[in-house]
Parts: sequence; C-alpha cells; structure tokens
Amino acid sequence: MRGEHVRTAGRVGPLRLARAESARERAVTLVLLACAAITILTTVAVIFVLARETFAFFLDPAVTVWGFLTDRTWTPLFADKTFGIAPLLAGTFLVTGIALIVGVPMGLASAIYLSEFATERLRRRATAVLEVLAGIPTVVLGYFALLFVTPLLQQVIPGLNLFNPLSAGLVMGFMILPTVSSISTDAMQAVPGSLREAGYGLGATKTDLIMRVVLPAALSGIVAAIILAMSRAVGETMIVSLAAGQRPLLTLDPRETIATMTSFIVQAATGDQPAGSLASRSLYAVAATLFAVTLVLNVVSQAIVRRFRERYE
Amino acid sequence: MSDGQRLAEQLPPAKVDMFDPGGANTRRRARNRRLFTWVTGLPIILAIGLLAILLFDIVTDSFSWQLIEPRNSGVSFSLGDGFRFGGTWERVVTLDLQAQGRDQQEIAATLGDPEARRVYGARNRVELMLWAEGMPLRYVVTSSRDKHLEDYTLAQGFSRRAELESAVEPGQLFYLNPWLDLAFFAKNASRTATMAGLGPALAGSIMVILLVILISVPLGVGAAVYLEEYATDTWFSRLIELNLNNLAGVPSVVYGILGLSVFVRGIGLGPVVLAAALTLSLLVVPVVVIAAREAIRAVPGTLRQAAYGLGATRSQVVGKVVLPNAIAGITTGVVLAVARALGETAPLLLVGAAAFVPRLPDGIMSIFTALPIQIYAWVSENDVEFTHVASAAIAVLLAILFVLYAIAFWLRRRFGRTA
Repeated sequence: MRGEHVRTAGRVGPLRLARAESARERAVTLVLLACAAITILTTVAVIFVLARETFAFFLDPAVTVWGFLTDRTWTPLFADKTFGIAPLLAGTFLVTGIALIVGVPMGLASAIYLSEFATERLRRRATAVLEVLAGIPTVVLGYFALLFVTPLLQQVIPGLNLFNPLSAGLVMGFMILPTVSSISTDAMQAVPGSLREAGYGLGATKTDLIMRVVLPAALSGIVAAIILAMSRAVGETMIVSLAAGQRPLLTLDPRETIATMTSFIVQAATGDQPAGSLASRSLYAVAATLFAVTLVLNVVSQAIVRRFRERYE
Repeated sequence: MSDGQRLAEQLPPAKVDMFDPGGANTRRRARNRRLFTWVTGLPIILAIGLLAILLFDIVTDSFSWQLIEPRNSGVSFSLGDGFRFGGTWERVVTLDLQAQGRDQQEIAATLGDPEARRVYGARNRVELMLWAEGMPLRYVVTSSRDKHLEDYTLAQGFSRRAELESAVEPGQLFYLNPWLDLAFFAKNASRTATMAGLGPALAGSIMVILLVILISVPLGVGAAVYLEEYATDTWFSRLIELNLNNLAGVPSVVYGILGLSVFVRGIGLGPVVLAAALTLSLLVVPVVVIAAREAIRAVPGTLRQAAYGLGATRSQVVGKVVLPNAIAGITTGVVLAVARALGETAPLLLVGAAAFVPRLPDGIMSIFTALPIQIYAWVSENDVEFTHVASAAIAVLLAILFVLYAIAFWLRRRFGRTA
C-alpha cells in the first residue's frame, strides 16, 4: 500500500548532505517518529492501566474469576457486593442486538440503492445526509431516545419502562446505519465489472444480478461492515446511559430497565467511589471486558477486509 | 381518438418476444425492479425523516408556554417601552422596584450600590418573551424565586391559548418563553432552569477544543508525515498502521478511563481543562492521521521528484512541497476531528467534568464543564423545564456542528479534486 512516490523519493534522494543538514534531518525524522510512536504508546497505556487495575480487582478476596464469569448478579455499588458480569453482558448484547436488527437491513438496503441504483449526484447528496447522521453527538441521540422515542413507544407497548433497551436500540440502529451503509457501498462498488457483465450476459435482471452476483461477491465486505457496526454499538455509551438505564438485570425482555457495560462504567465513574476501592476497580474489570470484546470484533472485521481486498485489487 | 392512440396505430407493431408473447414477464420484471428500487431507497428517506424529526423536536422543545406566580413585581412591558427606556437594565430595575412599592431613595440606593446590584442581578432577569399578557413580544421581569405552576409545549399553548389565558388569575403571568435567547449564552449554571445558561459550558468547550487542536494537529500530522514520507515497510511501521486502525475502534469511554487513570490521577492534574484536552487529543489523533495521510498521498509524486531534483532535503520537501499542497485535506480532517471532539461526552464524564460549574474556567488548570456534559446533566435532571434548557443547548451544539460540517464539505468540494 505504500505510495509509489516514497520509493521514488528514496531512490533520487540527496546523495550527500552537509553535516549540519544531516543532523537536522535526523532530528526531524526522530520527532516525526516520536509522533507516530505516541499512537502505540496510547494502546500500551490503555492495556497497562486496564490490566493493572483488573489484576488488583481479581486479587481481592471478595472476587473470583469464576464468580465474575458465572454469577448472575452485578451489585458492586451495594453493601452486599456481587460481581457477575453476566447481567451487563446481557444488557450490552440486548441493546446491540436490537440496534443490529434495525441498522443492518436498513444499512444494507441503502448500500444497494446507493451502489446500484442512485445517480452520481444523488449518491453524493445521500452520502452527505448519512455523514450528518453519523456526526450527531450520541448524547443528542440519547436525549432523543429518552424524551421522544420512549414516550411514543409507551403509547403502543404496555409495560414499557421509562428507561428501556428498546428505544435505545432503535435509535442506536440509526446511529450504526451510516457505518453499515458506507462500508457495504464500497464493497459492492469494488465488485468487478466483468462479473456484472457476465451476469447480464446470462440474462439476469438487475434484481437477479444484485441478489445473486453483487451481494455474494461483496459478502466479505458486508460482513466486515456488520461486525464493525456491532463493535460501535457495543462501545456506545451515551445513548444507553440516558435511555436504557443503570440497573443491571439478567433479562432479554426489551421493556425492562437494564444496564450495559458502558452505562455501568459511567455510573461508577460519576458516583463518589474512592479510587482504589473494590467498586472503583470493578469499573476497570468491566472496561477491560469491553475493550477485549471490541478489540476482537475490530480485529476480525479488519482480517475479513484484508482478505476481501486481496481478492479484488 | 386521441393523438396518442393515432400515433400508436401508425407505428409498426412491436416485436413480440418469443418467450414472453403477452409481455407479462417483462411487466413483472419492471414492477419487481421498481419495487426493489423503492425498498432499497427507503432507509435513506427514513434517515432524512429521522433527522427532520430530531431537529423539529429539538427546536419546538426549546420553546414553552409557562404559567408562573412571580415573586417580584411581575411587571411586563412592551418592546416599544423597552426601546423608549433605551433598553437599559437600570430603567427596568427601577420599574420593577417601583412596582414592588419601593420609593425613589431605596431605588437609587440599590442602583448605586454594586453589591446590591449584584444581588438583584443574580436573582432577577429581564427576558423578552415572545408572547405575554395577550400581546406579542413583551419584556417580563423574572426571578429565580418565581413559582412555576404549569409548563405547556409549543403546540399545546397555541391550540389552547384562549382557554389558558382566560384561566390566568391575578398575580399570575402566562407567557411564551424562548429558552434559546441571547441571554442563554451569557447566563451561568443555576439550579433553577430559567436562570441556567450556557456560559461556563461554552467557555469550557472552547478552551478544551483549542487545546485539542494545539495538541492533536502536530501529533497527527507528524505521524502521518512519518508514515507516508519516511517509514519504510518495516515491522515497526506496519505495527503503527495496525495499531492506528485498532485505536480508531476503541470505544471513547475507554479513552475516558485512560484519561482518568493517567492524566487525572496518575500525574495528578485533577479534573481540569488540560486533562480533558489531553484525553480528547488521544481520541482524535487517529482521525487526524487518517485524513492527513489521505491528503499527503494525494500530492503528486512529480512535485516531490522536482523538489528533490532541485536539491531539497527530505524535510524541505515535506515542509515546502508536501504539506503546503496537502493543507486543504489536512484542514478538512482537523475540522472533522474538532466536530468529533466537540460532541464527545463519555470521556469527559470519566475525566470528571463537573455537571455544575457556576463560573467560567480561568485557565487550563481550572475545573470546567463542557457543552455535551451540560446537556447530559440537564437531561438527567428529569425535570420538564430542564428539558427545555437541554433542547436549547442541543440546538446550539448542533448549530456549531453544522457550521463545522459545512466548512468541511466546502473544503472537500473546493480543494478535494484538485489536490
């Protein structure tokens, strides 16, 4: 992927430099290298911080790794503390699931439209709309979910709590729509023209062509888009903090108030937990779990994208 | 016989498809295709609809009809009177105090004493209401100790205005309050919704964003230049690249935890502007790097070769050829990064931005609040009046973001293809 010019630049680079100049060049190189290295330092710092506090958390006699993974309640902020991450994981994946159910079909459909049907002009405009949608701060979307979507849904669905994963998930579906749409559009446009021509040559209609040629050929890119969107939804904080609630409950009922990993992190951090206390450390354990989940999703998504690129470039 | 029918008779008969003599198949295919186009285009219409509803909701929510029982004189006077008084605050205060039954000497004493003026100003406010006492655009003197009786939405107020106005008892005021007015920008935080304003949040956001630009732009552009112009394909540069991709996918709340552990507690900055700016800078550096790399890659190699041919060193080529030619793309990236940083809430919550800051931040080591934090706090109040304040704040935030996006789009259109 390295640009052509870099190699060329290396080849025609100056043969000999005055000593002062070469010292200056080295200094510039070092400074630039340091800038790039800071990005690595960030990752190292994240892992170090999370690992250290999580380790301290599990060393506490009140906590066991087994209990963390299997207990069915999560009450670190109560007097009677239990540390089972299951309710938070369930909450996170409930909201994420609803978001994917809403966002993926819509994102895919709009990608098909933008890639196969829209004129260039329309595509530019629609892309701009989707970018604006993607750029709306999530705290605003949380406000919208809590104060507009929830009251609306409460009129239709009896027993819907004020804080519920349903409206959070619905709004989050629109949040991930641009992600699914833009990456899938790219994947579909990367399908070579020869495949399309072959399809038309066999007498396919445009509908046949999209369903039987373009979508299968772009599948890896689409899967990558969905996984990336999932990672976004898992890590999303403000919509769930405002609209889904902060009560860890092991349920799959979308009408109940729940808590997610991210909303617990916000709850624990904005309360007055003294640093170093068990409750404060539980925040790091949750954050480490969150980081691990999103990291795995991102790595898988990138691996799929890389394979897909090798096929068509 | 219509023109169309006559024309159709003159035309030679259409070729009959051997496999589809009635044309039913062709019509079915055409119908399917139309249906398919509509179904796939629908989400885009839905997205536009959602944006429209969101904006409509926010704008209408930043107005409300209120019924109050004023604690001060409760005088209101017309826009014309306001101008006749020279619009001066003193004149309004005088009127209010007169209506409260104070005599000239007391009024002069209040106006002459800075402390008394401050106390009066902290509790009372002169607001231009869109509708009050059955007339449009009237000034109303409100106070933090007013008793708020009812709050009606914009639509409720309009549809039931006559009924509601006739029900107003003596000693009560009924008006249409535009929560997003000029005073909203200047007012400080307050426990009373009508007195709460954006002052500290705006100042905090601006300070944080300026620092973020100062920190993240050199870092991001530096890293981009290194990756595009200096790095050879070694394990190290590949590691940096892989890492950048992963960093872009790390949830922002995790950056908040990093900021909390390293900047706030680790090096002991505390929950201050600088700690927030450093945290957000780490968050947006990948955005800047990705944009800057794209812009640098778009600079034609021939320009570089020409510069090298003239004997320029590598840093000279970067400084005098590559960066000046990539500046538009880099600026676009920076604008988008700023937009991202401006709306980020979770990292600031973790770093410890305060929900209630009664004064403007006075330096980079000052505690602070920011626009999204203030919005979060106001929404969490779970109070109908604070909902209006939150809507007004969201309107301001979205307006700033739209300006930023407009700049980015304009830059991309203006320089995107030529770069």
